[in-house]
Amino acid sequence: MKTFIKVTEIWVPDKQRTHLEFGSGLYGGLIEFKAASEQQQFAYNEGLPGKAWAEGRPLVLKEFEQSYFKRTAAAKAVGLTCGIAIPVFSGDFLLAVVVFLCADDEHHAGAIEVWSNQHSSEQSLTVIDGYYGSLHHFEQISRDISVAKDQGLAGLAWAQGLPVLIDDISKADGFIRANDAKQAGITMGIGIPVSDNLSASYIMTFLSAKATPLAKRIQIWVPDLQGEQLICLEGYSKKPNELAQLFETTTVTKGVGALGRVWLTGMPVITGDHELDYNPELISLSSMLAIPVIEQGRLKAIVSFLF
Amino acid sequence: MNKLNVLLIEQDPNISLLENELKEIGFIYLKTQYDSTFLRLVTDIAPNIIIFNLDICSNTLFSDLKTLNQQSALPIIIFTRDGHVGTIELAIKADVCALIVGDFEQKRLASIINVAMARFKHQQVLKTALEEACAKLEDRKLIDRAKAILIKTQNFSEDEAYHTLRKLAMDRNISLGEMAKNVLAMSELFK
Repeated sequence: MKTFIKVTEIWVPDKQRTHLEFGSGLYGGLIEFKAASEQQQFAYNEGLPGKAWAEGRPLVLKEFEQSYFKRTAAAKAVGLTCGIAIPVFSGDFLLAVVVFLCADDEHHAGAIEVWSNQHSSEQSLTVIDGYYGSLHHFEQISRDISVAKDQGLAGLAWAQGLPVLIDDISKADGFIRANDAKQAGITMGIGIPVSDNLSASYIMTFLSAKATPLAKRIQIWVPDLQGEQLICLEGYSKKPNELAQLFETTTVTKGVGALGRVWLTGMPVITGDHELDYNPELISLSSMLAIPVIEQGRLKAIVSFLF
Repeated sequence: MNKLNVLLIEQDPNISLLENELKEIGFIYLKTQYDSTFLRLVTDIAPNIIIFNLDICSNTLFSDLKTLNQQSALPIIIFTRDGHVGTIELAIKADVCALIVGDFEQKRLASIINVAMARFKHQQVLKTALEEACAKLEDRKLIDRAKAILIKTQNFSEDEAYHTLRKLAMDRNISLGEMAKNVLAMSELFK
């Protein structure tokens, strides 16, 4: 059993806030690629993280050769073929860029998409970027459709301004590609609003199959009605995980613990054992990526991916 | 006694005192000299016992014996002229079963081997018991830490924390110690 995300990184502005430097990362066994990455810096509009910063939206780069990607040789050496960069903004100002790197794998079923209305006046979303691996037919269908607010996974996330998680996506009423997803082996999806700026809205959708999950568990945390504590709105994993559920009954205070720090600073975090290979068969969860969803400078939610 | 597979390490390959006695007793043996390939040789031939006959015991030898002891312990007998206190201490630390200093009577070799084998077995029993006790103690510490986390995060009483931990462990068919490790790992993630 494999995941199609092989590497997760957080790039953060340096002291002058003119360049991005390495914040933290999960590399599994890809030690050499980690070493090559830790020394890297990206200027505004440079490399995948710098480009996502400059464009103010999530980017999917499906081909590293002859592209603006800066670590092509190191990536090629370990079989990484595709990158996704998600900038985290508070208004005009960049807080961090989360980068996922994937490897082409014949056996995986999953997709990562960027949906946008392209212009704030438009009331429907289309796929403007996407990584589908071997799901060529599903990619074709996805690129041909548009969804209105409140429609489909991306439309729901857009309408609510919150992450939306659909467990059995092939049976979901609101998911208009349900049949196609079923044929492609996709079972679960999460839509996350990102980079909600004045010119356009962007929604990321992560679709995955049971055999190649995105993470061992995904959680959505939101501030309570009083805005005093974070509560877990939803937790999902392929197999029930009572231990994770137990921790999801706790509340999080601003500034306390990893999620509390994300709330306090608006910065994504990676915690846990950074060296471990991803192993979905392990009972214990060894690492976590938590990404904030920020709207007009306020935290709307935190999505945590537990590996 | 079953025929033992003996690795005989002689300082001087021309000396055949021990070799002759091993032949006499009827043991299978391989005679060689001590060098840097010692550990690999032991892995390759997998002897039941190793006998050294050396004038002086080097630190490298004891270092190799310690490594061997950690990887796959074997009964070790050393015949030597080196009776220094330091050598005796190093031999004890390396779990050498018998250290015979000075001259020895050829006829005693069989009984020396028998005693060394019995002592080795006894040492192994004690070692296993100690490892189990240490593991239990380590588990106990982990369980206490996991309980403390559950008490703090879930407002559980100590009893509730213990029963929750036990139920989680039973549901997963793993030990309480393993489950405690999972609770600690999960708590680390949210730290």
